[in-house]
Amino acid sequence: HVPLSRRYVLCEVVSEDPRCRQCIEDRTLGLAVRDAITRVHGEYGLACCSISFTVKYLNAYTGTVLLRCRKDSYRLLCSALPFVRYLESRAQRYPCFLNTLHVGGTIRTCQKFLIQYNRTQLLRLLQNCTNEEERQCIQKSLLSCSLTEQQSQSGDEEEDDGTE
Amino acid sequence: RGPAGRGMAAAAFERRVVRRAAEHHYLRVRLELPDGGARPNAAQFKQLVVTALRELHGEVGAALPVDILTYEEKTLSAILRVISSGLVKLWSALTLLGFYQNRRCAFRVLQTSPFLLALSGNSRELVLD
Repeated sequence: HVPLSRRYVLCEVVSEDPRCRQCIEDRTLGLAVRDAITRVHGEYGLACCSISFTVKYLNAYTGTVLLRCRKDSYRLLCSALPFVRYLESRAQRYPCFLNTLHVGGTIRTCQKFLIQYNRTQLLRLLQNCTNEEERQCIQKSLLSCSLTEQQSQSGDEEEDDGTE
Repeated sequence: RGPAGRGMAAAAFERRVVRRAAEHHYLRVRLELPDGGARPNAAQFKQLVVTALRELHGEVGAALPVDILTYEEKTLSAILRVISSGLVKLWSALTLLGFYQNRRCAFRVLQTSPFLLALSGNSRELVLD
């Protein structure tokens, strides 16, 4: 019953090159994803996915990216994400790949998933700690995790009628 | 089959009803090159079709199983076969192809049918005496 249905795709940028983090910005990522869609699905796919396509959220420290697209074309978008091989900025290419974490109908579901995912990632980092100092740092961050309810509602409140 | 009994003029017939949609669709197409020039051979024709698919539908479109069953270089007409789920992609790609080797070109789709036999007769070109 919602006329303008959207899907939010949560992914993370994985790269061996630490300089890749610096060029995680909405313009470079938007161009890289659009280029991948054009290669895989052609002009038709690009036009389909470009309707209300944006990079909604970025976190350069963790490499988390939230993309938004139409519900009708999220499969085109998701199938083209593995074909992003590098991010380009200032005439430099940094090889990387995108890991799709979650597809949700609202920003809120993706946010809930991301909080849970970050928690498990911190726990895993704690297990892989080699240094006592690192261990203490991570333990402190873990103990201070909490979810605070914001007063203002986001503009995209819809029922999510199907997540993968 | 109806039994052909002795002394009875029974017509033996067989009726087959296929409920499933056909797997392949067949198209009779003609390439128009209004500016003249060298005509493509069969391999170049196939390359042209795949290029058209790649431009409009990307690598996924270019991987669509399209076969050229016949090709006449003189008239530049061919019979293509495509899997039924890819008919819309192929037809739209052929429609929107505009250039072959920097010359203007256009694909005209003359006939299409899920049955190859149906392409043998064309009521549009039928001449009644």
